[in-house]
Amino acid sequence: MYKKIIWPLVIGSAFVLSLLFVSGFIVSIVISGNDDTAQTETEMDMEIPESEPAEDMPPDGASDILVLGDSIGFGVGDEENLGIGERYLNLLDDDSETGKTVTNISVPGFESSQLASLIESDEYSASISSAELIILSIGGNDLNNLNLEDTATLTLAFDETLNIYKENLTFILSEIRSINPDAQLAIIGLYNPYSDDAPQNAPFLLEWNHETRLIVNSDVGFAYIPTYELFDYHLDEYLSPDDFHPNGTGYQAIAEILFRILN
Amino acid sequence: MIALIRNEVMKMLWKKKMPLILGLLLIFVSLLSYGQNYAYERNIEQFEAESGTAAFNWEGLTTQRLSELEERSQNEFIPEEVRASIDREIEQLNYFIENDINPVTPTAAKFNVSFAEQGIILFIPLLIAILAADLVSNEFSRKTIKILLTRAVPRWKILLSKYIALLIMTTLLVFIIGLTTTLVSYLFFQEWGFSEPIVTGFTLFEGTLNSDSTILIPRYQYTLLIYSLVWFVSIIVASITLLISVIVDTSASAIGILMAALIGGQFLQFFLSDWELVKYFFVTNLDLTRYLTGSYQPVEGMSLNFSITILSVWAIGSIAISFIVFNRRDVLV
Amino acid sequence: MDTSVLKVSDLQKEIQKKLIIKGVSFDIRAGEIVGFLGPNGSGKTTTLRMLVGLSKPTAGNIEICGHSLKKEFVKAMANVGCIIEGPDLYDYMSGYRNLELLGSMSKGVTKKDIDEAVALVGMENRIHDKVAVYSMGMKQRIGLAQALIHKPKLLILDEPTNGLDPQGIHEFREIVKNLAREKNISVLVSSHLISEVQLMCDRVSIINDGRIIRSASIDDVLVTGEVVWILDDPKRAQSILRESFDLDPSIDGCHLRASVDSGMLSEINKTLIASGFDITYVENKKRTLEDLFLALTEKHTI
Repeated sequence: MYKKIIWPLVIGSAFVLSLLFVSGFIVSIVISGNDDTAQTETEMDMEIPESEPAEDMPPDGASDILVLGDSIGFGVGDEENLGIGERYLNLLDDDSETGKTVTNISVPGFESSQLASLIESDEYSASISSAELIILSIGGNDLNNLNLEDTATLTLAFDETLNIYKENLTFILSEIRSINPDAQLAIIGLYNPYSDDAPQNAPFLLEWNHETRLIVNSDVGFAYIPTYELFDYHLDEYLSPDDFHPNGTGYQAIAEILFRILN
Repeated sequence: MIALIRNEVMKMLWKKKMPLILGLLLIFVSLLSYGQNYAYERNIEQFEAESGTAAFNWEGLTTQRLSELEERSQNEFIPEEVRASIDREIEQLNYFIENDINPVTPTAAKFNVSFAEQGIILFIPLLIAILAADLVSNEFSRKTIKILLTRAVPRWKILLSKYIALLIMTTLLVFIIGLTTTLVSYLFFQEWGFSEPIVTGFTLFEGTLNSDSTILIPRYQYTLLIYSLVWFVSIIVASITLLISVIVDTSASAIGILMAALIGGQFLQFFLSDWELVKYFFVTNLDLTRYLTGSYQPVEGMSLNFSITILSVWAIGSIAISFIVFNRRDVLV
Repeated sequence: MDTSVLKVSDLQKEIQKKLIIKGVSFDIRAGEIVGFLGPNGSGKTTTLRMLVGLSKPTAGNIEICGHSLKKEFVKAMANVGCIIEGPDLYDYMSGYRNLELLGSMSKGVTKKDIDEAVALVGMENRIHDKVAVYSMGMKQRIGLAQALIHKPKLLILDEPTNGLDPQGIHEFREIVKNLAREKNISVLVSSHLISEVQLMCDRVSIINDGRIIRSASIDDVLVTGEVVWILDDPKRAQSILRESFDLDPSIDGCHLRASVDSGMLSEINKTLIASGFDITYVENKKRTLEDLFLALTEKHTI
């Protein structure tokens, strides 16, 4: 029984499977390809893998409103694909026809460090220097990555992340200031998309926003746009189905509060 | 030699290890797929309750995302490689819409891949350890090594036959893991999903995830790729377990040592991820699947080729030491 | 041609810097049953382990049927069957499967050979039961069968009767004796039991503290040449023996003792009877191995 049936079956299937696995293994190596240039620890927003920082290039950098930052700046989740910038412009246009344009160079998944190096690269210096209003949304991904942390190490990791973020933000703001001393800057605060599921995280978020506000208050041309309270009571209404990004209504609400504060 | 291998395979089968492993697997997989199905249904319910709409409208969301992507793809300022990546996602989403498949529905294909991805660092090595740990140590603790080594067969052949038998059983086990996860999760999800397209082939380029080289392949091919990596890792773990089994006297301590190494390695990776040496430890490199899915690297400078090299070095070293030790060892039981 | 089946010369073994076996040499001819006698811890098992390749000698040579164990392990081991310290088998398999498995490891072992070995040890009825349910005696039989399936010329048995009941010991002994007689298999049996060696072996090597202290045929070792008579008039007998046979008998109560060459014994007895003695008892006195062993080892320790 064993010699006649099981053994040939075992060795035969093992042989076929080995061939299959070996070929699959080779294909895997080929697919993952030229990765010897791989570097630094970087986690990207997996839902949105396309993240080359080169989308929506401004035509010669001449526009009035510049949106910088992450997916919130980009407008992920907005059914009408307008985002904060366009919606803000619409509000302005309701008042009076301005003829202003919006440039959005936000990259979904961006962290403060990535934005800092983007700004440092001078790639968008032209856009920054010509802008009248710069809307900045950053930090959400820095903070969101902490979700992966264990509760035991969370506090420690949070402090570290916050410090890095503060450094980056200070750098970004001073850099923008040195490129364009006159522009109005609006920094979008963070809201808590998880306030229902994880109320224990609220203190972290509040501390984060507080620190952001402290940095933002250092210059009269900077404005902090609070969104925490705004979203806290309208989470169902303002969040897109991914339960993370705002939906159109949410973006509209941010644009409105931005409009109120700036004007 | 064939007879020796056949004997070793027979011993492994007769020891009733496979039913034990299969039992563990079934319990685990059933719990996990039940849980996933439950969570999914609750999510949908919650969403429906919150949004007030009658049914969860995935089509709307997918279409929205699709039109957004199409719009961006038409933007002439978008660099070519980004467009290619967008086009691949469009293709993927189109498939879902055309075939009326909700992209977030749990399917057997998704489950077995995520099971492999999660299990590759601990659960699957554990199963391999159960299989491999008593390969040699059990012969010592039961003293049967005496009747084995007093045959007219050189010692290296005995160990080699054991190793090859182990490889055969490991190969079968990986297949059985894949088969069990697929079948059991199908029972819960009622959805195969093997022909759905999936994006793979991310590379990390200068710190950012590079999607230039991504390709769109059907899920069954992707599953095969993932399981090939699992198979490779399993063979590495089996080789290392063989060494431990040769050195220690009982299978319990062999499993214990391997588990300590695996869990200790995770700790090391967690706390000391910026310590250069950590990346040369085998446990740190076990999670090969993350290189296909595009997850992040725990330690700087690690890549699929790097991990494969490190693991191979570990395995070859283990096998070499196993043979040397086994050949020299005085049998005093 | 060297007819030795096993030839051991100056075997030494060092374990943890301590010389355990201090130069053991002996050889075994075809069809001979050799006892390897020594107290526990004298180095019997260590020596046997080296003979079957389980551990490697520090120095010295082992040749089995002319093949060096070190250089031609496979050829040498093809001629050896052994049980070292108890019959350890795979107890999750049946006895038959154990034999099948071990048989497949040697060249040319057929199903017939296995059946023959099973018949030889008388295990036909229970051979397909799992080893786990066997009694010690059955395990020992299967153990012997596994040592015989590949038709070895040399059988090495380490304490084979340990854990067997008297009936089992007797049967086991008979099987081994038959093997040597009918199949001309040489057997090396180690034991710490003198009676066992005495009943089974042609020759005996006595080992103590890692050395062989006496190696001789069992008769040479045992026969002392002393004869004891019990007869009605020891005094007169004493003088007759002195005069006619040039012996020096001693009287011990009603016993008359004398060292006699065994060939002369019948002649002496005839004379005694002819002289009108009433002989009630004559014994060609053998030294027990016990005596011998104690004498030898004592001498050694002093």
